Amino acid sequence: MTGRVVVAEFAKMRRLRTLPVLAVMVVGVVAFSSLTFTAPGFLDAVDDPDARPWQWLLGGPALAVALISPLLLAIVAGRQIDIEHQGNGWFLSQTSGVTAGGLCRAKFVATGSLVAGATLAQSALVAALGWAVGISVDFPTGQWLGHTASVLVINLVLLALHILLSARVPNQLVSLGVGVLGTFVALTGTGLPPWIGHLLPPWSYYGLAIPVDLTEVGVVDLDPHHPSVIVLGVVGGAVFLALTRLFDRQEAR
Amino acid sequence: MMGAIRAELVKLRRSLSWAVVLFLPLMAVVTGVVNTLVSGQPPGDGWHTLWMRIVVFYGLFPLAAGVAVLASLVWRVEHRGGNWNALMGRVTSSLDIVVAKTTVTAALAAALQAVLVVGVIVAGKLVFDLPGLLPPRYLAVSVVIVVACLPLAALQSGLSMLMRSFAAPVAVALAGATVGTLLLLTRVEAPSLLLPYGLVSRATQVGTGAFADDGSVALPALGVLVAVALALTVALVAGAAVLLDRRDVR
Repeated sequence: MTGRVVVAEFAKMRRLRTLPVLAVMVVGVVAFSSLTFTAPGFLDAVDDPDARPWQWLLGGPALAVALISPLLLAIVAGRQIDIEHQGNGWFLSQTSGVTAGGLCRAKFVATGSLVAGATLAQSALVAALGWAVGISVDFPTGQWLGHTASVLVINLVLLALHILLSARVPNQLVSLGVGVLGTFVALTGTGLPPWIGHLLPPWSYYGLAIPVDLTEVGVVDLDPHHPSVIVLGVVGGAVFLALTRLFDRQEAR
Repeated sequence: MMGAIRAELVKLRRSLSWAVVLFLPLMAVVTGVVNTLVSGQPPGDGWHTLWMRIVVFYGLFPLAAGVAVLASLVWRVEHRGGNWNALMGRVTSSLDIVVAKTTVTAALAAALQAVLVVGVIVAGKLVFDLPGLLPPRYLAVSVVIVVACLPLAALQSGLSMLMRSFAAPVAVALAGATVGTLLLLTRVEAPSLLLPYGLVSRATQVGTGAFADDGSVALPALGVLVAVALALTVALVAGAAVLLDRRDVR
């Protein structure tokens, strides 16, 4: 049953243009990251281990995801949920044996798999562009994958939050408004001390996951807070499951 | 025409548009203030630095997203229940409806700018104790930003007219703002001005010295922005009116 509900969510996406919206996210992150290539001296440093070109390049997506992801994830979640509000889908599903909470979980699995794919794609594309411009020093696999995994977790938590918000508040202005305000928080979070960054989850966690800083003296390694991101993922998942179970017990609407 | 605008204002009375108008610019101000405080670098050049730290980022993405949300809100009521068919069976002309929707969206965008200016002044006086008030040049720039919002309001109103979804036009705005920002970052200025998203971003940069801006507030440059904005607005409103005229009941 669950599998068929998830498949049905993919079918609903065909006219929702979910993939083009996610493509905007991927292209936006890759395009902003590519601006690094136009930075003075970058292309001359592609084979200089001391200039650390991969870490220099990694600074691009680290900021770009905070700029672009919050609002686009709100849009992806909002569109997938709004169709149920518009078409009385909650009631139809409940009379077909799929509770509101179950429907939200199915929507998370369906949209989450695409968001995960988009997150991995944007990371891989930036790396591919790095090779394409001729970066020849060793690829920092651990650092790059660590950042990608952190962004993946934060994106999925943010998606879950917007699914809950859009399901609870039919007026999509609220979810989108939170997405816009979240963009500010995410960007501010990139410059905040870590202890403040822990206070505004999930948006400020994009800042906690940043692995490098570009300073006047060059690229400096930071200590990304991966354990905090893991805790965010576990707590976010638990809250999502708990709240969707609560939706299961609500009267059909 | 005035009747159509009045009707739009009545429809907005119980909406949450006030929340967008209030919170979006205030969030920009708070972000700029927090970043300045955390960085430990006070606004060295007084009002100029504060304006730059708040308004430039605000003009890259949030302003376009905010106007897009407001346009979706203005059209939302027409896509609900049987209101679309009522709209199709109206006596008011398509042009009047499109102009009224664009006017109301642009008025809300102007309110966004007014709240932003008040927020900058309050932050400058209360948080950073800056001397005097915001220099008049930034009030002139604010007027240009409001005018630059006209084609954006017209475009987003048109998109929200065509799309039933509340979020889809906002996604388009975000994509457009990304393209506009990239054009400005890569100094491709002329095409960026023909894109309403790029135009509004460029208007927010006037006088800041950011990206392609030279830091001056010169009348000829402002005149070009205003002329392009007005021409784009006329074209977009006319286009939307033609499209609405060809729509039917559903």
